[in-house]
Amino acid sequence: MFTLIKLIQSLFGALHSEGTEGQLAAGIVLGSFLGLTPLVNLHNAVIFAALVLLNVSFAGGMLGWALFVPFGFLLDPLFDWIGHTLLLDVPALTPLWTSLYNTPIVPLTNFNNTVVLGSFVFALLFAVPLFLLTRWAVVRYRVTVGERVKQSRFYKAITASKAYNVYKMFQP
Amino acid sequence: MKVKIFRWRAVGPLLLLFVIAGILWWLFADTIARRESQKVGTQILGARVEIQKLHLDLRHGKVLIGGLTIASPHEAFKNLLQADELVADIDVVPLTEKKLIINRIAANGLRFGTPRATDGRVAATSGDGIAGRVLAETREWASQFQIPVLQLATGKLSIDSLDPRRLSTIPAATALGARADSSRRAWQTGFDSLHLGPTLDSASAALDRLKRARATDLATINEARQTIDRLKRARDRVTTLDRNVKTGVSQLQAGLAGLDSARQRDYAFARSLLKFPSLDAPEIGAAVFGPGAIKPFERVLYYAQLARRYMPPGLLPRAATGPSRARRAGEDVRFPKERSMPAFLLRSAELSFLLHPASAQPQRYAGRLTGLTSDPALYGRPTAFEASGPQLAAGALANHVRAIPVDTAGASVGGVTLPAFQVPGVPLTLDPGAATTQLGFTLNGDTIRGRFAIRSTNVRWTRDSGFTNSTIGSLIWSAVSGISNLDVEARLSGPLHHPDLAVRSNLDQAIASRLRAVLGEQVAAAEKQIHDRVDALINDKVGPVRARVTEVQNQAQAQIAQQRTRIDELQKGLEQRLRQLLGGVRLP
Repeated sequence: MFTLIKLIQSLFGALHSEGTEGQLAAGIVLGSFLGLTPLVNLHNAVIFAALVLLNVSFAGGMLGWALFVPFGFLLDPLFDWIGHTLLLDVPALTPLWTSLYNTPIVPLTNFNNTVVLGSFVFALLFAVPLFLLTRWAVVRYRVTVGERVKQSRFYKAITASKAYNVYKMFQP
Repeated sequence: MKVKIFRWRAVGPLLLLFVIAGILWWLFADTIARRESQKVGTQILGARVEIQKLHLDLRHGKVLIGGLTIASPHEAFKNLLQADELVADIDVVPLTEKKLIINRIAANGLRFGTPRATDGRVAATSGDGIAGRVLAETREWASQFQIPVLQLATGKLSIDSLDPRRLSTIPAATALGARADSSRRAWQTGFDSLHLGPTLDSASAALDRLKRARATDLATINEARQTIDRLKRARDRVTTLDRNVKTGVSQLQAGLAGLDSARQRDYAFARSLLKFPSLDAPEIGAAVFGPGAIKPFERVLYYAQLARRYMPPGLLPRAATGPSRARRAGEDVRFPKERSMPAFLLRSAELSFLLHPASAQPQRYAGRLTGLTSDPALYGRPTAFEASGPQLAAGALANHVRAIPVDTAGASVGGVTLPAFQVPGVPLTLDPGAATTQLGFTLNGDTIRGRFAIRSTNVRWTRDSGFTNSTIGSLIWSAVSGISNLDVEARLSGPLHHPDLAVRSNLDQAIASRLRAVLGEQVAAAEKQIHDRVDALINDKVGPVRARVTEVQNQAQAQIAQQRTRIDELQKGLEQRLRQLLGGVRLP
């Protein structure tokens, strides 16, 4: 229940933040990496650091993460296939993987795992369309129903909670 | 307006977060490493690996493991080994490449085959991962040696139902019937194409005319000569057809003989459905000791195959099951590179262990393992193991350096008290007592060779309580109960997928002669019964086909003989009359 409330808070917090639609979309894109790829991996530490350090919507990042976790689970067979194809079925890439695998630190990213590589490549390819789509959707939302939602009692109740104040610290 | 790219005020919280994460790792590194080691070990071996204590001392490159227990992948409540303490010296730098290089392990207090409270098998119960697949493969491999045993519990020989579709005589008979029909058609066509009717009719007419002719009737005489030539040509054609018919008949005869062979095969197949082995001594040995003798080979093969999966030859990328997690595990692909470190290498392990730990004077042994690596081609040397001590000599070599891997193992252990076991199919329990066990095993590519032997001089026999009043039980008991020596040898050789297993023991002859005496009549009766069943199923098909073949060949041969006789008669009549008319004078 708390997670659901946090998600709704994230959603409205992000949609009605003062950040631009580009910042919000970028945050969601970075969050989608956290959701789509297996979480406990070195590249996600870098993504998280980028989400915190770059001037993008942190709330959007949390929203993207929460939204894409179920897709990550659902699409795991596809990621496995992509990773398997790239790692084992494309001989032209073998020298690259061999070189990376024998380079310090790089193997700690688990790039040689089919699901990790497949999901990362998918998230990377998906990033640009997701960014454009999200930016367009936020613009549409803000010019259509956004203002009315902002005046609603539901929105006021949501934004009045303490949790909302905590992550307001990270809003752009 | 200038757009800010960085959120500088977040640097502090982020650093704090990383510091907290670092502290947490430092605090829980031992626990994390212990759990990961347990998880990876369990996944690799297909049996539960438990570690009581693990301490990482990365500054000095040391790992201390206390209370290691590895369950047996094959036996539910038994451990493969336990170790009191393991101290490992590791190279820290390769860890940045996720490579584990252990220079030396000192293992103390190793114990083998200790009991455990819970079922530690993982591969056997789940069937997952490489270990699960290898275990399933080796079980499948071992199952080919299952030998039917005597069902002495009831003293009856049971016969499985006989499926007519599995008998080879019936389709052979059907095919032969079709061949007979087609031969009949072919011969009839050949016979018709001879056109003998007009030739014989004209010859008959010519003979009549010749009988009425005089010596000066030159036209009739010439006509008679031409008719004789036509008859000769007709006989040649008949001879050719006769040759074809004879060939066809011999083929049909061969088909009939084939039916007899098929019937013998069906008898043999039906006999295989009988639940008893041959009563020959070597097969008795296989039936009695085979199931037990194949187990050591199955287990060694399991570890050899596991080693081949985890230590494959060559430098090609290789995939293994990924780490277990909430998300799909996927596969971890390794990319070995020439002149680089292998992903895992244990240069040397010094082992110190006890045998008979429960006895008053446990015996201490020492062993050494070298060159255990995930990439033998990179390390360039085979993995070797040796152990020695009082009444023990063991060694193993896994040479996966070249394209065709060769795995060998040999051990001789004396004074080991083997558990008593129920002799399959015989109402006896055999307690080998303290025996000398020898095992030799070589897996060279896909060719397997193995030898397993047990020798004991103080065997004890126990008679099953359920057979105290059984005649068979009494006879076999009287045959073997006085034998105190046991000498069993199992030999395995041939291609891995289907090797030959030969088991012999000093008990074979004794048991075989007793069984033959007791069961000979019963076996003969059962064999007759199964023969009758086979005959009942195939006679309905074979009888008519046999009759049809006989009829076809008789008909063809009779037809040819009849025509040939007619030709001969006419030719003879013409020639006789010509001689009478001409009186020996040859006309031009």
